[in-house]
Amino acid sequence: MNKKILNLKFTEDQIDALREFMNVSIGAATASLANLLDAFGTMHIPEIEICNSSELAGKIESTIDLKSMYYTTKQLFTGKFGGECMFVISEDSAKNLGRHLYNVTIPSGDEIKDAVMELSNILTSTIVSRLTQELNVQVQFFVPSSQFIDANSIIHDEDVVEYSKIIIISTILDFQDQQIKGNIYILTKDEAIESLKILIDKKIEEIYG
Amino acid sequence: MKVLIVDDSKIARMGVIKSLKEIQPEAELFQATNGLEAVELFKKEKPDVVFLDLTMPVMDGYEALKKIIEIDKEAQVIVVSADIQSEAKHRVLVAGAKNMYPKPINKEIMTHIFEQDLLL
Amino acid sequence: MIEIKYPDVLLDSLENGHMILDDNFIVSYWNRWLAINTQISKDEIIGKKLDTFYPDINYKVLYRKIITALTIGTPTFYDADSNAKFITINRNKVTTSSLKLMQQQVTISPYIAYENKVMISIYDISELFEAKLMIKKEIKKVHKLNNKLEAEKEIIDKNIMLMRTSADGTIIDISTFFSQFFEFDKKDFLGKNVSIFKLADESDAIYKELWKTIRDKKSWSGELKYKTFNGKEKWVQSRVMPILDSDGELFEFSAVYHDITNEKLLAELYITDPLTKLYNRVHFDEIISFIVEHQRKSDIDFALVIVDIDHFKSINDTYGHQVGDEALVSVAKTLKNSLRENDLIARWGGEEFVIMLKNVTLNEAKAIVEKVRANVEKNRITDSISVTASFGLTKYIKGESAKEIFKRVDSALYEAKRGGRNRVVVK
Repeated sequence: MNKKILNLKFTEDQIDALREFMNVSIGAATASLANLLDAFGTMHIPEIEICNSSELAGKIESTIDLKSMYYTTKQLFTGKFGGECMFVISEDSAKNLGRHLYNVTIPSGDEIKDAVMELSNILTSTIVSRLTQELNVQVQFFVPSSQFIDANSIIHDEDVVEYSKIIIISTILDFQDQQIKGNIYILTKDEAIESLKILIDKKIEEIYG
Repeated sequence: MKVLIVDDSKIARMGVIKSLKEIQPEAELFQATNGLEAVELFKKEKPDVVFLDLTMPVMDGYEALKKIIEIDKEAQVIVVSADIQSEAKHRVLVAGAKNMYPKPINKEIMTHIFEQDLLL
Repeated sequence: MIEIKYPDVLLDSLENGHMILDDNFIVSYWNRWLAINTQISKDEIIGKKLDTFYPDINYKVLYRKIITALTIGTPTFYDADSNAKFITINRNKVTTSSLKLMQQQVTISPYIAYENKVMISIYDISELFEAKLMIKKEIKKVHKLNNKLEAEKEIIDKNIMLMRTSADGTIIDISTFFSQFFEFDKKDFLGKNVSIFKLADESDAIYKELWKTIRDKKSWSGELKYKTFNGKEKWVQSRVMPILDSDGELFEFSAVYHDITNEKLLAELYITDPLTKLYNRVHFDEIISFIVEHQRKSDIDFALVIVDIDHFKSINDTYGHQVGDEALVSVAKTLKNSLRENDLIARWGGEEFVIMLKNVTLNEAKAIVEKVRANVEKNRITDSISVTASFGLTKYIKGESAKEIFKRVDSALYEAKRGGRNRVVVK
C-alpha cells in the first residue's frame, strides 16, 4: 500500500506557471476548433483548484446549470503526466454544435454525440499535447467515452473514491456567435500531481534561471 | 528605452523580459498585471514599447489596446497571446497593434519584432 | 504502396481491422482481418476508393476526422456507442446475441502526415457493447422498480401511522402521517421513549399485557389511548410486531396504528349516561345478560347492589331540578369513588343506581356497601344539602336468570326503604 505522504501544495509561482501553460494550450485548442467550426472563439482565463476527491462533484456542479441535461465526454491520457480530460456541454449547446458541424437543421442524437466527441477529442488532444509539450513529456490518448446525463450525474462519488487529491484545471470554451459553450476540466491526482509539480519547477527554472 | 510588459501571469512576463533583455539589455522595464494597470502606467510613463496579453482579468487586452491607442495613436503595441486564431490577430491589427505573436516569445521572435515591427 | 514487410506481418496478425487511407479515401493498405471479415480481398480494394465499396459512409464527416487527425497529430474517434456502423460486418454469434452487426470502435490515427495518410483501426467491441446494453436494460428496470417503491413509500408515509422503536421502546422512526396526527415534529419524536404517548391516568394493565406479549416475540393487537402533543386524547387501534435479528433475538418493534377515536367516542356515548357519565342501563343490561348467558366462572362470582337516593322527590320539589341533577351527579361520583377499579356501576334510571361488585363474598360485599352508604351520607351536595340512600344487596346464584337476581335485589331495596331508609338490606 502506498503510504508515502505526498506534498500536493502548489506555490503561487507554480500555479501561475500552470495557468499560463494551460492558457497557451487552450489557445491552441481554440484555434483548432475555430478551424473546425469556421468561427471565432472567445478565450477565458483558466482556473486551477486543488480539492479532495469528495469535493469534485460539488466543484463541477457549481460551474454548470443544474437544470440542464449535459453531454459529457471523458478521455484518459497516460504518461508522466496522466489524468482525465472531461468536457461538459449542455444539451442546447451540443445541439447547436451538431447543427453547425453536420450542417443540418435538426441533428440526430447520434450526430450530436459524434459532434461532441469530435469537439472534445480535439480539445483534449490539443490541450494535453500542448500542455505536455510545454512540460517536455509525452502522453498517450485513449478512446473517449461520452454520455448524455443530468447535471447531478456527471460525477458519482464512488467513481473517485480511490483518488485522494484532485487538481481541477478548468476553463470555458466559448463560441458566442454559434452559441456553443462548454466546460473543460483536466483532472489529475496524487502521484500525477506531484510529477506535474516537478515538471513545472523545471520549466520555471528554465524561464527564470 | 521604456518598455511596458502587460500580462496577468508572472511567468509569461518573465518570458518576455528574458528574451527582451538579450536584445535590449538597457531597457527600463515596467510591468502591469491587467489592462487597467497597463493604461494607467502607459499614461504615466509613456513607454516606447508595450507587450500586451489579451486574456486578462479586470480589463482584457482588447479593451486596453483601444484605450492606449486613444491616448496615443502612435503607440507601439505588440500583442503576445495564447490566442492563435487568425481572427484574433485580425482584430488586434485593426485596433492598432503593430503585430501579434503566439506565446511564448523567444529570442528570434524578439529580434524580429525589433527589426521589423517597431518604429523606434 | 507499403514496402516494408514487417508491419504487414504484424498488422495481419492482429485481431482487429486496419486500413490506410488518404484524404481522397484511396485505400493503400487492407489487413487480413478486414479481408476476412468484409469478404473483400486486399487485391480487390487496394488502390481503389473506399466509397466504391462502402457508399453509405458519411464521407464529409470522415474527411473532417481525417483532416483533424492530420492537423492536431493525435487520433480522432467515432462514437463507439453509435448505432451507425462505420462498415457493416455481420456477426456470427448464434447464442444469446442481441447484436446482428458488429459494434465497432473506430480510431483514425495520423500515419504519414505529408502524404495525408491516416490509419483507420476497427476494433470489435460487440461483446462489451452487448454487456453495456444489458446493464442499461437492468438499470432501467431497477430505476422503474425504485420509482414505484418510492411512490408507494410516500403514499404509506403520508397516509398510514407507523412507528419503529428499538427493543427498549426508543423511537427510531415514524411516518409523516403519524407525526401530523400526534401534532409532533418528527425530530422531536426521535430518540424519545414510546411512553410519551401514555396518558397519566391510563391503567397500566393494558401496557403490561402489551409488553409481555411483544417481549415474548409475539405480535400484539389492541386499542390504546394515546395523547397528542397538545394533550388531546386519541384512541388508536394498534398492532405492534416484534422484529427479530438474525439470531432470533428482539431487535426492534414495528407498530401500525389506526385512529378509532371517533368510533370510540360514539360507542362511549351510546353506553354512557349523559348526566352522571356513568354507564347507562342499556350497557349494564348487556353486560349482565352476557354474564348470565355465558356463565363463565370468573364472571359469575359477583354481588348486585341497587341504590336509591332517599326522598329525592322532595329535593327536586324544594330546590328545583337543577339541584336535583347536581345531587345525582354528586352521589354518582361518591359511589364511583367508593368502589374498586374493577367494580361496575351504572345509572339505573331516575335516582336509582346499580352496582356489580366482582369476586366478593356476601359478607365482603356487605362491608363494601356499608362503607359506600356511609360515604353518601357524609358527602355534601351543597353546603346546606346532603342526602342519604338505601341499598339492596344480593349475591348472584349460579345459573339463575337476570330477572331472578333483580327481583331479589329489588325486594332487598324495598325492605331497606320500608325499614327506615339510609340502610343496607342483604338478601
